[in-house]
Amino acid sequence: MTDNTAGTLRGSKLADKPLAGPNSLAFRLSRYFTGRDAAVLTLVLILGFLAVYPLAMLFYGSLHSTPPGMAGEFNLDGYRSIFTASNMVVLLNTVGISLAKTIPALLMAVLLAWIVARTDTPYRDKLEVLITLPFFVPPILTAMAWGMLGNPQVGLLNQVWKWATGSQTSIINVYSYGGVVWHMIQYSTPFLFLFIVDIFRAMDPSLEESSRMCGASRWRTFRNITLMLMLPALTNSFILSFIRGIESFESPLFFGTPAKITVITTEIYNSINHRATPDYQYATALSFAIMALMFILVIWQWRLLRGRTFSTVTGKGYAPNVMKLGKWKWVTFGFCILFFFVTVVLPIGQLAIGSFFRFFGFYSRDMLTLEHYSAVLGNAEVWRAFSNTMLLGLLGATATMVLGSVVAYVSIRTRWRGRRLIDALAWLPWMMPGMVLGIGFLWAFAMLPGPIPIYGTIWALLLAYMALGTPVSVRVMTSAYAQLSYDLEECSRVHGASFFQTLWRILIALAWPSFAVGWVLAFFGIMRELSASILLYSVGSEVLSVVLLRLWSNGQAEQVSVIGLFMMLLVIVFRWAQLRFIKNRISTL
Amino acid sequence: MAAITLENVSRHFGSVAAVDNVNLNVDAGEFVTLLGPSGCGKTTTLRMVAGLEQNTGGRIAIDNQVVSDANASFFIPPERRMLGMVFQSYAIWPHMTVFDNVAYPLRIRRKSTQEIAEKVKTALRLVEMENYADRPAPALSGGQQQRVAIARALVFEPRVLLLDEPLSNLDARLRTQTGDEFRALQKRLGITSLYVTHDQGEAMALSDRIVVMHSGHILQIGSPEEIYRRPANRGVAGFFGSPNFLPSKVQACAPQADGSFLLTLDGPGWVGPCGCSSALAVGTDVLVMVRPENMRIADKASIGAGEMSWTGPIVQSIFRGTHRSIVAETPAGRLNIDVPSVHNPAVGESITLAADSKAVWATPTN
Ligand SMILES: Nc1ncnc2c1ncn2[C@@H]1O[C@H](COP(=O)(O)OP(=O)(O)OP(=O)(O)O)[C@@H](O)[C@H]1O
Ligand SMILES: [Mg+2]
Repeated sequence: MTDNTAGTLRGSKLADKPLAGPNSLAFRLSRYFTGRDAAVLTLVLILGFLAVYPLAMLFYGSLHSTPPGMAGEFNLDGYRSIFTASNMVVLLNTVGISLAKTIPALLMAVLLAWIVARTDTPYRDKLEVLITLPFFVPPILTAMAWGMLGNPQVGLLNQVWKWATGSQTSIINVYSYGGVVWHMIQYSTPFLFLFIVDIFRAMDPSLEESSRMCGASRWRTFRNITLMLMLPALTNSFILSFIRGIESFESPLFFGTPAKITVITTEIYNSINHRATPDYQYATALSFAIMALMFILVIWQWRLLRGRTFSTVTGKGYAPNVMKLGKWKWVTFGFCILFFFVTVVLPIGQLAIGSFFRFFGFYSRDMLTLEHYSAVLGNAEVWRAFSNTMLLGLLGATATMVLGSVVAYVSIRTRWRGRRLIDALAWLPWMMPGMVLGIGFLWAFAMLPGPIPIYGTIWALLLAYMALGTPVSVRVMTSAYAQLSYDLEECSRVHGASFFQTLWRILIALAWPSFAVGWVLAFFGIMRELSASILLYSVGSEVLSVVLLRLWSNGQAEQVSVIGLFMMLLVIVFRWAQLRFIKNRISTL
Repeated sequence: MAAITLENVSRHFGSVAAVDNVNLNVDAGEFVTLLGPSGCGKTTTLRMVAGLEQNTGGRIAIDNQVVSDANASFFIPPERRMLGMVFQSYAIWPHMTVFDNVAYPLRIRRKSTQEIAEKVKTALRLVEMENYADRPAPALSGGQQQRVAIARALVFEPRVLLLDEPLSNLDARLRTQTGDEFRALQKRLGITSLYVTHDQGEAMALSDRIVVMHSGHILQIGSPEEIYRRPANRGVAGFFGSPNFLPSKVQACAPQADGSFLLTLDGPGWVGPCGCSSALAVGTDVLVMVRPENMRIADKASIGAGEMSWTGPIVQSIFRGTHRSIVAETPAGRLNIDVPSVHNPAVGESITLAADSKAVWATPTN
């Protein structure tokens, strides 16, 4: 992941690169496949349905006075009703919380990335795997675990504190601003780390060495050269992380709502789920407003970064400068382990403990039980949700990656008419929070003609997941293709391979590690998805995250722990397989 | 006065000795080049002088002041060694303008704004880049970046200039021109320079002395002519061009005025005189180096007493533009010879090749 990946997504810089020569695969393809405009059209239609249609329906719905699928009139009540003082607070909360989590997360990510990439801290490669693991854990799991750990009355951390100090008062209350921010930091840090660690690694060491030769100390070089060179990339990842903070749903839902702290996503959710009559027009208008906010942010990011990304990588292979820390290396090692302990071991440990006691919070020997395991295993609804999630994960990840591969191929390795449009369409859902996309699809499905009964089936979820996953899959495959030179394609052709042999041998064979990386990412994305699922599921098409949330609201934290542990196991198995069998590190995303 | 001194300097990476017991003295104002094949330890040596790499053995002194002593665990970090360095990738900081790049060493030293402006201007004028001061650094060509890198390395008047293949990223024509310009500048300023390259031509043209390295060792130190004419062994000889090596035996040995020795050699089917660096006993096996560019096609009759000659048919003739490469099958073996390309002797024709004793050199076998 380099500093211009976002740029690739945004404006498709790669499309401006010298394109396929007359002997390239793409050119041959165009001759074999005479209906290439038809192919482009098909892609446009698919992407249009996944991105433009729900967006258009969002706008339609925001002007429509009744819920999706009912007769009503058009008015501006929705927009009028969102301009209230309390929504001003909601907006401030949203922006404030996102800023409050992005800044410390960025500092921590820079520190961790520096430790892993630029110091002789022991077991750095292993530490990297541990540090990035939280990124792959569904946030709903850690949210629930932290809900138990930091519960002001019976939370484990507070119990330990009281036991250790003899104090009567709790020190931690996760149901607060601090709780929301803290939970978000756990996700933003590994996310930012993935961006930053490769920039640290890929920087030409002579840029720093020449500063030392000019008389600058190590620290001064770090400030004046290293950080300044990274500034555009840091700004870029800062904004990305900030945007994700605004889109975040789990953290404010779990820790904000009980404390009456509302952000935009939870406000939308509440107005549909927690009111006597769901106010769709209000929710839809609000969704459209948040889209506008996203749009401004993205434009801002684009303007800020225009022409400011430095290429700090030269062709020569080299090892980055590694700083010898002496005894301090155990301090940095300890810091990384501490991060892993707090973000993974603690919540998972809580789930494990919670699953074995009759009531969470009452941890004595006579409360030990396995009844939650049997309850979960005997729960048909859980099994159905599990199989739904697996089915959606397998199908969704595959469909997303196939779509992403085709879109990326067309947009960077051909000069077909319409390729820019395709690229832009595929990127559009990037700006849409899951919650907003969910509402858009609610309208979109309701407005479909009668004989297409998508709403209420798991296909509704599949489409939403594909839309949410496509920007990432396109990005993964774009960088994969960008690394393959045209010579390879042409060389294979020259040596007598037919077009399809070439496609198979060269492109598929060389691009498959990226495909697999993207596939696992998409699978994780589907498994953790909550905000769109919660709007689009119906009886029979529940997924695990939805069932978890429902159990949690019913106060069955113990069963939640059991399911959470199983999901965790799945995450670890997938992540292990990915690292073990797919040599490409995950950060090629 | 020695500007740079290396005493038994070694650098081990694990069990690999990248540099092994190197001894070298560079005089003040001298231009010394480290030359050798890829991976022989040139860069490592240079970086140890710079302080970017720590030597695992031996001592390094700059201006007679020890900067690193492995046995005493003494090490001065690079920023306190006052050395200018030009990197292969130039390492021009892309987030700064040309001016800021060059001014950086002065800002680090907290010079006044006025002094900075003056010195940067002088340095940029030195490399003929004064008109580019306000350019952002990425908007420069390779050659221009290289000039800026030199200006930056010179601006704080360092004791010594270190250069690691500074020309290797330039195209051939620019390489020669920039190299000559740099050499002129170096002479004018009289700045001690330690230069790394794997290009023999570059080394020949620029250096006062050349240090030929091979797998971490120094093979020979000498002026370009010495290294070219009087290589210490077959390895050094083979590094410049592709000379012929003829096995033969010493028939007689006579000392010369310049300290070298004149041998009379007896090879298979030929006898002749040849220079050598040391006295050799009669009957010793030696290898005679004859460079293709130093041979000529001669009439048998015109061959003088100070020359060696061989006769045989031509087996190959290749036109190379600037010259013609001919291979002749002689009793001494196959000989390569370069002749002006206007000559066009036919394949199969028998020719006589001659070489002056000044142009041939004998080294002990092995
Ligand atoms: N950081 C390192 N770790 C291990 N081995 C190294 C390291 N740096 C250099 N070496 C080894 O030391 C030897 C000398 O390397 P060095 O870079 O000095 O070669 P060089 O003469 O500059 O070659 P080139 O002309 O290719 O630049 C090489 O065999 C190289 O593999
Ligand atoms: Mg080198």
